Amino acid sequence: MAEKTAYRKPKTKIHLFDVMNYIIFVILGLLILIPIWKVVSDSFNAVGVYQFKLWPSKEYFTFDGYRTIFETSKLYRPFINSVVTTIVGALLGLVLSTLGGYVLVQFEMPGRGLLAYFLLITMVFSGGMIPEYLCMRQLGLTDNMWLLVLKHGINVYNLVLMRNFFEGIPASLYEAAKIDGCSPMGIFFKIVLPLSKAALASIGLMFAVTVWNDYSTVKIYITTPEQTNFQYQLRNMIMDGDTPTTSYAVSQNTLYYSGIVMAILPFMALYPFLQKYFVKGVNIGAVKE
Amino acid sequence: MSKKKVVTSTGVEVRQKPLAMRMFNHIGYYVMFLPVALFVLVMNYWPMLGVRYAFHNTKFTTKGLSLEWCGLDHFEKMFATDAFWTSFFNTLELSIMKLLITTFTAVIVSVFLNEMGNLFAKKTLQTIIYLPHFMSWAVVAAIFSLFLSPSSTGMVNEYLRDWGILAETDKNIYFLASQGWWRPIFYIINIWKETGWGTIIFLATLSGINPELYEAADIDGATRLQKIRFVTMPALGNTILTVLILNLAKVMNMFESVFVLYNPAVYEVSDVCATYIYRQTFAVAMPNYGYTTAVGLFRSLVGCFLVLVCNWASKKVRGRGII
Repeated sequence: MAEKTAYRKPKTKIHLFDVMNYIIFVILGLLILIPIWKVVSDSFNAVGVYQFKLWPSKEYFTFDGYRTIFETSKLYRPFINSVVTTIVGALLGLVLSTLGGYVLVQFEMPGRGLLAYFLLITMVFSGGMIPEYLCMRQLGLTDNMWLLVLKHGINVYNLVLMRNFFEGIPASLYEAAKIDGCSPMGIFFKIVLPLSKAALASIGLMFAVTVWNDYSTVKIYITTPEQTNFQYQLRNMIMDGDTPTTSYAVSQNTLYYSGIVMAILPFMALYPFLQKYFVKGVNIGAVKE
Repeated sequence: MSKKKVVTSTGVEVRQKPLAMRMFNHIGYYVMFLPVALFVLVMNYWPMLGVRYAFHNTKFTTKGLSLEWCGLDHFEKMFATDAFWTSFFNTLELSIMKLLITTFTAVIVSVFLNEMGNLFAKKTLQTIIYLPHFMSWAVVAAIFSLFLSPSSTGMVNEYLRDWGILAETDKNIYFLASQGWWRPIFYIINIWKETGWGTIIFLATLSGINPELYEAADIDGATRLQKIRFVTMPALGNTILTVLILNLAKVMNMFESVFVLYNPAVYEVSDVCATYIYRQTFAVAMPNYGYTTAVGLFRSLVGCFLVLVCNWASKKVRGRGII
């Protein structure tokens, strides 16, 4: 219907405000990106001293930093540990928070309130670093990388997020399934989980990031080098001068920056595709007006 | 026994079944909750019993942990120790300042990001400013300490020299080991890492503002800045308050960000409760677990108090608690 409208399309005028806004944001974006870019480009740069170049010149270009990481067991072992614990940790976290969240929306279940309080108390009060350490030590779990998985496996905050999400699923769906003779487990697997794919992705990612990025748990609980994760090993190498002996004559800086790239690569690579799930995770938690 | 009446979803009033029967009907759910309960009991509740160490002298012997009652000795020692009070007030100052600064920058950034007309530019920028959030504190500390390093590989010092701010005769500045520089650097790193992520919640609020408000302001002849001042900012008020309340509850939790950035030269301005506890336990030859548990208990209680206060405030402000 090509009717003539009564008003003209307004002329696009360039406002000073918009120009300033774009300039400021370009600067802001660069402030974030330059450090990251510098890390990436220096990881390929064999020059040991500082030079401001966006990309290393040909004669200094090198992969030795990465080669060193992949060929030094003191560096690649922690990396593998990190990958394994992250995957297992995210899965365990998802299982526990969906189970718990699902049970907490069973409004007719006797004792539901008690179970909710049982969980919420842990958000208000905790034993603290030292009692936790002593408990784990008495259980014989220190010096073991699976402790990372256990420590992050249960997260009451994420469980509550899951519960909030399940609350949004219409109760009539449950009832229809119940009438059709579906068991609680059946409802959970056939109805609830397929409806919550987005929430599962967000919360799984949150668990994965937490486990991958954890440094202090390893620092507190783990001393055996074979059981540490990559973040710990990286930090040890850069800040505490614990550089492993290598077969390459790689400059220290190149190795450091390569290590940093390896530590941020998994999530930086995935992140642009998963951004909406990350953002969703924040919003189901906070803005629920 | 009085039988309660309940209304089913179809609106029929029926007698409630006895408790045992209702429990039996939900047995599947109890089984589902079992693994969660086990984990919470072992990982969260069992350590809570450990707070009794705060009232004991503890020692690791061959038979395990031996305890000897000592009343409030550890607390007396704690309140008489200067290093403890330094760490306590540092915790409050560092985390509250950090909270205020990053919230402020996040609000500013999201308000101006919201003014951006070009959707592609806006989305790209969002992607960029969220990036640093996914780096661990260990990595961020490594990056910044390499950049700020006083050696010849430190980018910042090299620039200061190039631009003539550092004269030939001056030594390179060791930023992270200088009492004057440490806090500003700490806040800057926090801004770099968390501002972008902080904008998410504000942008979500801004996208919910009724466009009619802006049209009305247009008709009244408001300029862009006036619209920001009188339409956008008031809409954010409640969200800002919410963010502040939610984070105020976590003030005592500050640990990793300081732990990876501080060093002995700046303990006085950077030490927080958790790092103090860590050092007193893991960096000494004969750790006094009782004493550090006592410090931890004090920290937990202050944290607990803050959570309850914030929960109360949250109920007042937005009608629902934070826990």
